[in-house]
Amino acid sequence: MVKLDPAMIHAVNKPARYTGNEFNAIQKDHAQVQCTFALALPDVYEVGMSNLGLKILYEILNKRGDTAAERVYTPWIDMEAKMRENKIPLYSLETFTPLSQFDFVGFSLQYEMIYTNILNMLDLANIPLFAAERKDSDPFIVGGGPCVYNTEPIAEFFDFFIVGEGEEIIVEVVECYIQWKKDGCAQGRQGLLKRLAILDGIYVPSFYAVQYNAENLIESVLPIYPEARSLVQKRVVKNMDTVTFVENPVVPYIDIVHDRIMLELFRGCTRGCRFCQAGISYRPVRERTPEQLRALAKQLVASTGYDEMALTSLSSADYSCLGEFVTDIMEDFKNEKLALSLPSLRIDSFSIELAHKLQQVRKSGLTFAPEAGTQRLRDVINKGVTEENLEQAVRSAFENGWNTVKLYFMMGLPTETDEDIIGIARLAQKVVDLYREVTGKRGARVTVSVACFVPKPYTPFQWFPQNTQEEFARKQKLLKEHIRDRAIQFNYHDANISYLEGAITRGDRRLSKVIYEAFKQGAKFDGWSELFRNDIWMKAFETCGIDPTFYNQRERSKSELLPWEHVTPGVNKEFLLREYHHALKEELTEDCRRGKCSACGVCPNLDVKVVDWGKRHD
Amino acid sequence: MTKFRTEITKGDEIRYVSHLDYASLMERAIRRAKLPVAYSEGFNPHMKISFASALAVGVTSAAEYMDIELKEPVAEDVFCDRLRQALPKGVKLLRAKMFEGKQKAMMAIVDLAEYTVQIPLTGDQAAICEAVQAYNLAPTIMYTRRTPKSCKEVEIKQYMQESVQVAFVNEMIVFTMKTKITPAGSVKPGEILQVFKTQFSMPILEDEALIHRTGLYAGGQTPIDLV
Repeated sequence: MVKLDPAMIHAVNKPARYTGNEFNAIQKDHAQVQCTFALALPDVYEVGMSNLGLKILYEILNKRGDTAAERVYTPWIDMEAKMRENKIPLYSLETFTPLSQFDFVGFSLQYEMIYTNILNMLDLANIPLFAAERKDSDPFIVGGGPCVYNTEPIAEFFDFFIVGEGEEIIVEVVECYIQWKKDGCAQGRQGLLKRLAILDGIYVPSFYAVQYNAENLIESVLPIYPEARSLVQKRVVKNMDTVTFVENPVVPYIDIVHDRIMLELFRGCTRGCRFCQAGISYRPVRERTPEQLRALAKQLVASTGYDEMALTSLSSADYSCLGEFVTDIMEDFKNEKLALSLPSLRIDSFSIELAHKLQQVRKSGLTFAPEAGTQRLRDVINKGVTEENLEQAVRSAFENGWNTVKLYFMMGLPTETDEDIIGIARLAQKVVDLYREVTGKRGARVTVSVACFVPKPYTPFQWFPQNTQEEFARKQKLLKEHIRDRAIQFNYHDANISYLEGAITRGDRRLSKVIYEAFKQGAKFDGWSELFRNDIWMKAFETCGIDPTFYNQRERSKSELLPWEHVTPGVNKEFLLREYHHALKEELTEDCRRGKCSACGVCPNLDVKVVDWGKRHD
Repeated sequence: MTKFRTEITKGDEIRYVSHLDYASLMERAIRRAKLPVAYSEGFNPHMKISFASALAVGVTSAAEYMDIELKEPVAEDVFCDRLRQALPKGVKLLRAKMFEGKQKAMMAIVDLAEYTVQIPLTGDQAAICEAVQAYNLAPTIMYTRRTPKSCKEVEIKQYMQESVQVAFVNEMIVFTMKTKITPAGSVKPGEILQVFKTQFSMPILEDEALIHRTGLYAGGQTPIDLV
């Protein structure tokens, strides 16, 4: 057990990040369980504690009498320095057990910019960074989460990956491990990996050989063991009502990013925005019943004491029973001062009226994501939002007393012209003018946030070249020049971070050495702009003789074998190609949730169905 | 209007929780306990609870006092049972007493705090005792209190209720301190340790100190004995 010296812990910022003992945290005696599983999120405590996926896995694993699951996050740089100085290994927050003593260490892969933190955490835990160097006494390092649809750049650091939704497969992994242990750890580490590889949704990267051709492109990715599948498909929960959800989440002592109950209404979103990876990887839409949600809400309020609850989903306003459900739940909690929030608003007046009903009376500001500045470009990306939708939504918001509106956009989308960029400024101005028209006063505050578009694997834009940094800079300047009203605040992203994200997200196994080199030179918390060190990264690419533009700015041929194709969310390549061509022709594709099936292939490939309770009454 | 005055602790498990976070963990516990707590009126209702005295980050306590206002009466044993079941590790409910009517805010009446401070013994015992004696004998001591925003000279001996006591137990230095809490201000044990070190050359590792509040009083009585 790790013991923290008071002088050390006293010297760091927010020491309660590192001292555990939160309400609902579960401490088990490791001598009494068969399997110990550390659940890691490679970011700071406040971010890690806000992740719903790990809360679910924590609950599922700890419900088992034979398993102990514990949490670990990345120590902030002040604590890391203290730990290294005092030779304190990275430890879990429940029992202060060094990470190296766990059977599994699972990393949640939320975004590419935390990959160096994974290496840093393994290093702090004295666990060998490369899977090939791990011994029988080392934990198995497993990854899962949104980035799992291209893990090639980090393949060499992981023993295996869990692809898709973890609720069911995590239990199979633990049971497989316990059996393997009973069998005397037959065939060592390889033995367990072989047993795991035959399970649906398990990807063991070391069981595949990657061949490259003369143009440096991938020639083939082939299994080298009979246990390894040639195609690994994601796991998906068929019935959201029967799967375990969080009922007793750990309640932190310090403010975290999402410091409230998260009630997941449904999983998946099939609006079909063509830039969106989550829109593909979480297919199909599966709703929970309102009855189940009301019961969960009661349990969660009772078990946490939180006075705030967010109704979460990829697009919560699309929940089929939302109006009725919100009325019911407000009735259920009318005596308990529970504030409800709807984090993902749709751009229409239904959403605004709902937000108003939820008494988000502080009117702190509404956020909309038109994503692109002109109708033409919104059609390219299949963002089914018109200027009239936005006008109505904003009008309704201003009529209901809001005066602050945030608008999210992207730049660098396929087919984008300067007119589309200027369209962002024009749209923002229109919102400012609308406020005057509705209220007869000045005083609107409009924030325009523009991200640099990063094409992602398993989206219709996966072949598309990312804009260069110079192009991003030019567009940012252009937009700035066209924003003249002082009511509009313009925020934009550091193009260097997006450039790097662009290289890694569509990278292949050859990037492992770049990530390792960057880590060795001190890269960490790359998603935190104040800690991001572009110089280290560019040097690392140079040292390894790898050109990042090969990955981010190269237009890929439709016939090219992409590095991630052997692990799939179940979508057909033909569908992605079809969508790419629709995009170029500015043609829209319907949402299959209530409209026509667009034959993406997920339902038949994974034997799963859309679950939308709105249809129940038809 | 029913109120409860409670005597609670802040244990080692939550030593590094700030006063503000301690207050919100108590709010959540009260909600979990399903006590009929009263809220303030208005746009942004607040739970009607109040504390006697804020505790610094890193300090534990056997003597925290919190008042809770309820919308309707609850029997004392029911109140205690429900709250105890909802408390996190590190908070114990020692006593609770129901009272009616108006009482002065505890914050305004507490005037004395008692602490014990434990530090691993690394220096010479005699030198430590001498420094304590010199500190106790000094008529006035100026201390520079620094916050991120300001820097202020404070005379701290005016806030000492009694002489600091020192004992040595199992390789630990144990100080006992009694400090006055006044409308004009007070002195914290951590500040006294700094003064020991910098002005009286005491050989101690003040960063290693474990500070524990053992008592809080108003006019010689604990706040809970006042109701």
